[in-house]
Amino acid sequence: MQTKVMFYVLPEIANTIEEQTHNEKTAEQEKHSLIHQACLQAAYFYRQNQKVFIYTQDQTQAHDIDEMLWAFEPDSFVAHNLLGEGPRGGSPVEISWQNPTIRRPVLINLTNTMPNFTNNFSTVVDFVPTNELLKQQARDRYRACKQWGFLVESQPAPVIN
Amino acid sequence: MNSVELAFSQNGALANAIDGFSPRQAQTDMAIEVANSIKGKSSLIVEAGTGTGKTFAYLIPALIANKEAAENDEQQKKIIVSTGTKNLQEQLFHKDLPLIKKSLATKAQVALLKGRSNYLCIYRLDQYKESRGQLDAESLADFVKVREWANVTHSGDIGELVNVIENSPVFPFVTSTVDNCLAKDCPNIEDCYLVKARQNAIDADLVVVNHHLFFADMALKDTGFGELIPKADIMIFDEAHQIADIASEYFGEAFSTRQLLDLCTDVLQIYKTTLTDVKQLGKAAEKLLKTSQEFRLLFNYDPERGNWREKHHQQRFGQAFASLKVDLDFLYQVIKLCASRNEAIDHCFERAVTLLAQYDIMVDVDALGMSFWYETTPRHVVLHKTPLSVADKFSAYVEESGAGWIFTSATLAVDGKFEHFSQHLGLNKARHLLLESPFDYQEQSQLVVPRYLPEANDKNRSKVLAQIALPLIEASEGACFMLFTSYRVMHQVAELLSELIENPLLVQGQMGKRKLLEEFVEQKRAVLLATASFWEGVDVRGNSLTCVIIDKLPFASPDDPLLQARNEDTKRRGGEPFSQIQLPQAVIALKQGVGRLIRDVSDKGVLVICDNRLVNKPYGEVFLNSLPAMKRTRNIEQAADFLKSLNHKA
Repeated sequence: MQTKVMFYVLPEIANTIEEQTHNEKTAEQEKHSLIHQACLQAAYFYRQNQKVFIYTQDQTQAHDIDEMLWAFEPDSFVAHNLLGEGPRGGSPVEISWQNPTIRRPVLINLTNTMPNFTNNFSTVVDFVPTNELLKQQARDRYRACKQWGFLVESQPAPVIN
Repeated sequence: MNSVELAFSQNGALANAIDGFSPRQAQTDMAIEVANSIKGKSSLIVEAGTGTGKTFAYLIPALIANKEAAENDEQQKKIIVSTGTKNLQEQLFHKDLPLIKKSLATKAQVALLKGRSNYLCIYRLDQYKESRGQLDAESLADFVKVREWANVTHSGDIGELVNVIENSPVFPFVTSTVDNCLAKDCPNIEDCYLVKARQNAIDADLVVVNHHLFFADMALKDTGFGELIPKADIMIFDEAHQIADIASEYFGEAFSTRQLLDLCTDVLQIYKTTLTDVKQLGKAAEKLLKTSQEFRLLFNYDPERGNWREKHHQQRFGQAFASLKVDLDFLYQVIKLCASRNEAIDHCFERAVTLLAQYDIMVDVDALGMSFWYETTPRHVVLHKTPLSVADKFSAYVEESGAGWIFTSATLAVDGKFEHFSQHLGLNKARHLLLESPFDYQEQSQLVVPRYLPEANDKNRSKVLAQIALPLIEASEGACFMLFTSYRVMHQVAELLSELIENPLLVQGQMGKRKLLEEFVEQKRAVLLATASFWEGVDVRGNSLTCVIIDKLPFASPDDPLLQARNEDTKRRGGEPFSQIQLPQAVIALKQGVGRLIRDVSDKGVLVICDNRLVNKPYGEVFLNSLPAMKRTRNIEQAADFLKSLNHKA
């Protein structure tokens, strides 16, 4: 089955504060917005009864995702586990900074390069940040997906209130 | 505006009588529903979150209904209020009721009725004065205090004896049990405090009882009673989440080695005082005493619960149980020979007959629709036969009573629904009301599930638990409970902590529960380690308790025989035991816990649950949907910071 990939383009972060703090603040906000978008995607697939693998840059980012999912409103609850905890076979949503060990249909990628296990998933979610460097990396991932023959699309990320 | 709404209004009776009373919508809503239920003689189930003021919300409409009936010369509207514990009874009676009576200017007669064991038994006191058995110096001092007090008391309620500890060994000798009460044959019946208290209760407009007393009465488990409840027009259960279990207990049967021991002790006393010539009496009683102690020794050292049906089929248990029968029979025969020599021995004869009958019930382990189970205490074994459901019996009772029934508690709903509660009691027609707590849980509290917890059976588990506790205990400067599902883990963690921290450690078993709690409040920096059930009924307010660490979600042990039997039964009916029985029960238990941590608008605290199933499993949603909206984190440092901030403000 052909892997379907959706790139969500994160919105520009409006900011009028001075240059220096501006950059730090924007980076912080964008990091937060990426985590939040990833969590919303995980919640969406969880409600569809689809098992999700969230592949993070590192353990710190995994903790950020974990913390936000746990703080979600009870009616948006997402049963999840970090790498190194939880039931055998994992929770419906697993958060990891290492390669997956069991098959799941959905991958949410938060790393800078497209992981080489991507073709094991039928649905992949990725994000395009606004920061120039990060945006460039996302473009490279988009290109890689094309080259691997995946069905690639992009759309603006949903607006978070 | 009707009279109930009026009482709760800005310028109503409550505002006039109570300083700082301000009307709260949730409270008024509840009071109106309670009034409707009284009027319509229907049933109402209300979950009122901590701080709603539910006590006033049920007492006021009930007393208004009573007052209006009295003013219109109608028949007395009798009210029974049943609550969970003696302490809660006293609080209602001595604190809330006087205030409400004053504000409503009602002449209603109110009475407090406790269980039999709370009243001085004049007959047994006199008996004991003569024999003066095996008491140590301290108990002897208690006995002197009891005697002095017995000359002056009006109520005979041993709760008045504030300078004698609650579980003093002297009390069993100066109070009665259903078993040893001589009832109508008693020479002191005219002055009996229990009889007087019951008569007061029967005459009163409002009686405060507790659930055990209520169901004992309903199931006619205590003779000479059973007259109270049929007369009631308004039945109110506070702490109603407990009643399904208590009802099952009273509609079932129990047989305990304590009853055997009590009988033996009384027989020995008669032998030593009045029937000194009957040597066999002493021998038979001592033999049975020994056999029942040996029976206890067959079970594990630590108190536990288990399946009696299975145990009885094992040869060594079956045999030991059979020898109990032999010795009980022998004692019965010997007592029979002494028949009519005096009242006390005649009474022992009746008890022996009853015990033999109860014994036969516990041998017949194949009876249908029942669960046979046992529980052990450090010194005794109790065998139980419990019906799997009381719904039919209870609902029939409610229907026939023609009274308004109100069931309330801070913890009845699971996932916003009341099925769990109403099905157990067969209250399918009852109306429901769910009122949220006015507290700001996001600001006041945190719910923490630490990351990377090892599996429950992992050998490092105790070490990890101690490490999790460490920064929290430091941040909260003591004021911390750690609750465990097993004694083993509790002791392991206690040992680890004793090497890691300087705080005083209080461990369950070191001293009585009450003393342990007193020490905990007194020693500012103390940490208390106990098993999960310890928390029930514990009331520690304010900054004395800011951090509670629980080692597991409070699911009943899968080995629990009553649970197993109920699960089987649910399966047979095509239900799902986990979601219908185990999950709701654990949710209620956890809700209770949260309610004990945050009791007030100004209370703050952290609840740490060392069980990542809450995060990992889909049923975590049911828990979160049922618990107050505490701020959630998985980061222990964040929780520690929160705790530190509390101490710095204080």
